[in-house]
Amino acid sequence: MSTSEALGLLNLLQLASPALPVGAYSYSEGIETLIEQQVIRDRDSLYTWLDTELSYGSIRIETAIMVRAYLATQSEDWEKVSFWNSWLSASRETLELRRSSQQMGQTLLKLVEDLEPGVTAHLPAHSCNYAIAFGVAASRWQIDLESATLAYLQAWTTHLIGAGVKLIPLGQTTGQQLLWMLRDRLMTTAAAVRSLPDSALSSCNWGLSLASMAHETQYMRLFRS
Amino acid sequence: MTETTSHWQGSLDLAFRPQGDRTQMYRTYAKAPLKIQRPFYPENPAVCHSVSLHTAGGMVGGDRLSQQINLDRGSRALMTTVAATKVYRSNGLEAEQKIKMTLGDRAVLEWLPQETIVFNNAQYRQHTRIDLAPTASLIAWDIVRLGRSARGETFIGGAFGQNLEVWQNQQPLWIDRLWLPGNERIWHSENGLAQNPAIATLICFSPQIEPEIIAQLRQCTPSEAAKVGITQTQGGGLLCRYRGQSTAAARQWLIQIWAMLRQSLWQTPVCIPRVWQLQSLQG
Repeated sequence: MSTSEALGLLNLLQLASPALPVGAYSYSEGIETLIEQQVIRDRDSLYTWLDTELSYGSIRIETAIMVRAYLATQSEDWEKVSFWNSWLSASRETLELRRSSQQMGQTLLKLVEDLEPGVTAHLPAHSCNYAIAFGVAASRWQIDLESATLAYLQAWTTHLIGAGVKLIPLGQTTGQQLLWMLRDRLMTTAAAVRSLPDSALSSCNWGLSLASMAHETQYMRLFRS
Repeated sequence: MTETTSHWQGSLDLAFRPQGDRTQMYRTYAKAPLKIQRPFYPENPAVCHSVSLHTAGGMVGGDRLSQQINLDRGSRALMTTVAATKVYRSNGLEAEQKIKMTLGDRAVLEWLPQETIVFNNAQYRQHTRIDLAPTASLIAWDIVRLGRSARGETFIGGAFGQNLEVWQNQQPLWIDRLWLPGNERIWHSENGLAQNPAIATLICFSPQIEPEIIAQLRQCTPSEAAKVGITQTQGGGLLCRYRGQSTAAARQWLIQIWAMLRQSLWQTPVCIPRVWQLQSLQG
């Protein structure tokens, strides 16, 4: 492994780490509601939810926008980065999902700037979505696009499994089994997302949208989405 | 397969403007199978009601329909359709409809078409783009039945795509890109339809929206078991979604919301278009 490859790997591990302090642990993306509604109640139903979201859901679109932010950063096309950021803000299903995406995005942006001042100079100062901040960071940190795409999806899956483990609840080992079982799906989705044309930026988000809307008025909740 | 049959390339091009205290429809171009009925004024002259229709009864694969609706500054229109729009089982080609609406300053559009019935194995894609002046108001809904549920048909083949975009000052306010492939997984899973054939969306944008209205709207409940939700979009807009067993119940719920919004935004009651009452209310 060359020095630059080793650096890229280290940067990837840091960017995709669940320990990255962006507050991902406080968002369940509707899973808290689905657990309360007993739609998700055990390992298998959580697996089905995540597997179907990865196959058809809006996480595919979000990841495809991360890919666009990565590529636009490589060509230093800041107008394009900003366009996709506005596009993603407009397409987030609910107020909570939009807020969580922007809160995490702003936090990541600030962190990236703290680590390496000047890197985020051209980015939207307000309301930067997480997928955009991640794509920019991955590009600036010499992480290859294929790894960045897989890592983005894997980090999303890991944190929602974490929400399920806490709320259903499930054992830690069961959580790891789920992640293990989803590896094939993560690879298929990552490959599909990288080649998604703009005209195919659409998803089946009906369940997520309804769950997230219900979460906004849920009486007892531990998570912010 | 060589394609020999000709397909509909229907279009509508309508424009509204105020003339005195009246909203006048001053451009009415229609190409078959789309038609527009003579406008009428059941409420007052300021609100122009108009009803469009598809004279061939429904869309088949290969059909391309387009609509362009312009509301000039200060005009006010309510639009609906004479009947449900059917999209038949596809012959392999996709049917497509493009709708573009532009609302000038202080223009008000209520876009309330009757339901779209997407037959099992239909291939249909609809693109709607609305450009809103910052002072304009919009209430638009879309009610869809997937599969002819009254006959026990489920939507497990074909695909339904719906892009709905609202832009203001060249910036996207709301982008809703739905892609529902007809298959067992989408039909059964909670992520998709959870075995519900009826879905509906209502969006509302207006500088007159008070943030408190959302709590009031949440008091509206559908008449049948269904999942519904309401949230806030960018630019202070509202988004309401329905997923349940019947489009009639969806419409009843949406009418409650529409009534509350009309009261809150303009202090006027709803004026139910007569064409709706002729429809049977079966799910």
